[in-house]
Amino acid sequence: MTTEPNDPTASGSSFADAPTFLVLSRNEIESLSTKAARGAGMSWGQAEEAGFAAGWLHEHGVDGSAALLAQLESAAGKPWHDVCPIVGPRHWRQQGEGPLCPIAVGAALSDFVDLPEGSLSQGLKIADVSRPVLLVPFLSRIAERHGQRIALTFPGGAVGVDGTGAITGDLGCFTGLSAATLTLELLEGAADAESRGPAGCESPVLSRLNDLAMKTTVPPSDRSRADAGAGTSDND
Amino acid sequence: MTDASLPLAQHDLKVGLRAPETVMRLARMGSAHPTRLSFLRVLLRRVRDEGWRFDRPVWDVDAKGVGRAVYRAIGPARTYSLVAFSHDLPDHMRSDRVIATAWDATFALFDGTPTTQDLDRLQRNVPLQEAGRVSARELSLSRANRSVRLWAHVVDSLAAGHQPEMSEIDAVGYLMRTTAVYGSGKFGAADRREIAERPELHGPFQAEMLSVWLTRQFTVDIVEHLAAAKGGERAVRLSDQIKRRLGVGNSTGLGMAPFLVRHPMLMNNWMAMRETALARVRALADATPDAVAALHLAYTAACDNADSWRSEHPIQIAKLQDLRRDLARIGERLGSFPDEEALPWDALWRWGERQLTLEGQEMLFALLIEPHGAVVDNLAQGMSADEHVAFTLDGAMKVGTLQAIFRDRYGWALSIDFQPAEAQARFWYVSEEKLEPRLGERASEEGAELEQPLCIARLAKELYADLSAWPATETVAAFLLRHPEHRYMARRAQIAADHPYAEVQDNLIAKDMLPIDLMRCKLAFFGASHFDPRSDKWVRISLFQGAPYPLDMQGKGRP
Repeated sequence: MTTEPNDPTASGSSFADAPTFLVLSRNEIESLSTKAARGAGMSWGQAEEAGFAAGWLHEHGVDGSAALLAQLESAAGKPWHDVCPIVGPRHWRQQGEGPLCPIAVGAALSDFVDLPEGSLSQGLKIADVSRPVLLVPFLSRIAERHGQRIALTFPGGAVGVDGTGAITGDLGCFTGLSAATLTLELLEGAADAESRGPAGCESPVLSRLNDLAMKTTVPPSDRSRADAGAGTSDND
Repeated sequence: MTDASLPLAQHDLKVGLRAPETVMRLARMGSAHPTRLSFLRVLLRRVRDEGWRFDRPVWDVDAKGVGRAVYRAIGPARTYSLVAFSHDLPDHMRSDRVIATAWDATFALFDGTPTTQDLDRLQRNVPLQEAGRVSARELSLSRANRSVRLWAHVVDSLAAGHQPEMSEIDAVGYLMRTTAVYGSGKFGAADRREIAERPELHGPFQAEMLSVWLTRQFTVDIVEHLAAAKGGERAVRLSDQIKRRLGVGNSTGLGMAPFLVRHPMLMNNWMAMRETALARVRALADATPDAVAALHLAYTAACDNADSWRSEHPIQIAKLQDLRRDLARIGERLGSFPDEEALPWDALWRWGERQLTLEGQEMLFALLIEPHGAVVDNLAQGMSADEHVAFTLDGAMKVGTLQAIFRDRYGWALSIDFQPAEAQARFWYVSEEKLEPRLGERASEEGAELEQPLCIARLAKELYADLSAWPATETVAAFLLRHPEHRYMARRAQIAADHPYAEVQDNLIAKDMLPIDLMRCKLAFFGASHFDPRSDKWVRISLFQGAPYPLDMQGKGRP
C-alpha cells in the first residue's frame, strides 16, 4: 500500500511495479480491500465485509478485487441511503434511483438470515444490485447456515453456490455484470461444480485499490517521524 | 485434570477465575511476565516431547560473514527450514525501524527442505524484505541487526582465544535482535488458515517462534565463524555457559500494540487460558515436595532474571525496583510454604494480592503455575481462535439484548467522560509515508479525521447512545441497516458477550495511556524477557534466553 513505485521502506506490499498478474495471499487481498473500501468511504464494519468478499472470491477462483474496485469507483460519493436496500419479505427494493451496493446487500442478507425479511424459502427478489458477483461470498455463508445450496437467477442466466464455496452455472457471464435484478432461492441436492484454484489479481487493479487505501493514511510531519522510533540510537 | 476444551467450566474448580475488570487493565497487562504457557515454551516442549531433530545442511558463508545458510527442524510429520542470508552492513545503514532498507541478516521460514532453486528464488527476494515477494511455501519473513557493541567484543575475544566478559554478555543479552518477524500471509507468505490445522502450527505464533529459535542458532554460528576467520588456529568457540545466557533480541515499535485490540477473540482465549491455569493451581489441595522444590527452582531463576534485567527508562527502572523488592518478599514467604492452609497455593496467591505490587503479583503468577505442567500445559491447546466464525454478526439478536451486553461488558467504557480533552487526547493512525501505526496528539497534529478504530471505549459509548433510542424488541439487523457506522463495534460486542477477556478495559486514546503496556502483555505471551522500553512507544526484549539450542537439543533437553 503505497503511492510510490518500488518503495522499499514501507511496511506494506508495493504493487506498482508488480507483474501484470499477481497471486496474493488471501490475507493480503482482504487487508488491501478493507483499507480501500474504507478509503472509498465505507464504514469500518462495512469495509471489513468488503475485504471478506474480495478475499473469498479470489480463494474460490474469481477476481473479486476487480469487482470491488469497479464497485468502489462507481459508488464513490453516494450517500448510504442511496445504496442500501429497503428490506421486506420476498422483495428488497432501492430507496433511490441508482443500483444497490452489493456489500450493503450481502451484509444485510447475512444479518437477516434468520428473520422473515431475509427468508429465501419462497424466493427473494432484489432490485438492481451493482457488481452482483460480490454477493456470492455472503450467499455461501448463508448456504452453509441452511445446509442448502442457493440459486441466484439474473436476466440471462443463473449461478448456484453452496456452503463449501463450490460455484456452478454461468459464472463468467455473471462476473461481468455491472448491475442486475436478482432472485435468490434455496435448492436441494449437491452441486457438480468444477474446482477452481485461487484467482490472481491484475496489477492495475491493485494499484488503484492501493490509491484508495492510501486515503486512510495520514501524511507525515516532522513530529510524527521523530516520535515513531526509539529515543536512542540503534547502533549500540 | 480438567479438559482443556472446557476451560471456563468451573464446576470442578474450588477457585474462580479472576474477573476481567481485574485482569484486563493496562497497568496489570503491562506488568506481565512470561509463563510456561508462553508460546516459545509451548514450542520447546513440543520439539522435546516429539523428539524433533535439527541440522544445518547448508553453510555457504565467506570470511566477511556474507552468504547463506539453512537450518532444518525435522518433526514427526513435517520438516521446516530457516533460510538465512547474511550480509555485510555498514554501520550507517543500521536501523531497527521499519524505515530501514538493509539489515545484517535476513530470514525466511520455508515449508519443507528447500532446493537450490528455492534458495536462489529466496535470495532474490528475502534480503529485500518488504520490497520482495515470498510464496505460500514460506511461513515467515524476518530480519535481524547485530548488537554492534557485543558483536565486536565477542568476535574479538573468541578470535584471540578467550571467552568474552560475562558482564558484557549480561549487559546486552543477545548477539542479534530481530526487527520484524512477518507471518500469516504477509508479502505472499502462506495464509494462517492454510497451515493452522497442522498440530505443530495450531498454537499462536508457533512458526514465528520456530523461526526465531533457529535464528538464535544462526547468531552463535555466524559469530563463531567470523572469529575463526579472524583468529585462525587461535580462535575458540563460545562456552556453553555463555551461549545459554544469549537470547535473540527483538526491537519493536507501536505496530505491535494494535494487534491485541484488533483480535478480541484471540486475546480473550490467551487470557482465559492463562487465568484458568491460575485457578487450577489455586484449587490444588496439596503442595507436594516435588512441586515445592520446583517452585524454589523457579524462584531462583526469577531472581537471576531480575538481577540481569537492565533498563535505563524511568518507567521501567521503577518497575524493576518493585519487582526486586517483591521478589525479596516472596522469598521470605516461601520460607513458610506450604503452611496449614487447606488450599496452600491459593493462600500463597491471596497473600501476594495483598502484599505485592502489580509487578510482583504477575511474577508470582508465573511462579505458581511453573511447577504444575501436568495441570496446566494442555491449556495451550485452547489459545488459538477461529476468528472467521465470529466474523458473522447475529442480526436476529434483539436490540434489548445488545443493550444488555453493553451494560454487562462495557460498563467501564460507558462510564468514561469523553468531554475533557485528556480523555481523547490522542488518536491512532497509519502513516502515509511508512504505513506503520502511530499515535498522534489530537489537539496539535493533523489527521484525527483518519483515526483508526482502536478507540474502543468511545466507539462503544457512541453505539450505546444510538442504541438507546431504539425499541428493545427491534433487531440488530434493522439497527445496522440504519446505522452502518456501528457495524464494527456491534461485531466486537457480540464477540465480547461470550468472551469476557476480549477487551482491554482502559481508554486507549487517553492522554496518560502507555502503548508499551499493550506491547509487554503480548511479548510476555510470546515468552519474552528483559523488557526494556526505549520510549513510551518502543521496546527491546530478549527471546529464548536460557533455553537450549536446536543443534544441541536433538530430541533431548529441558525447556
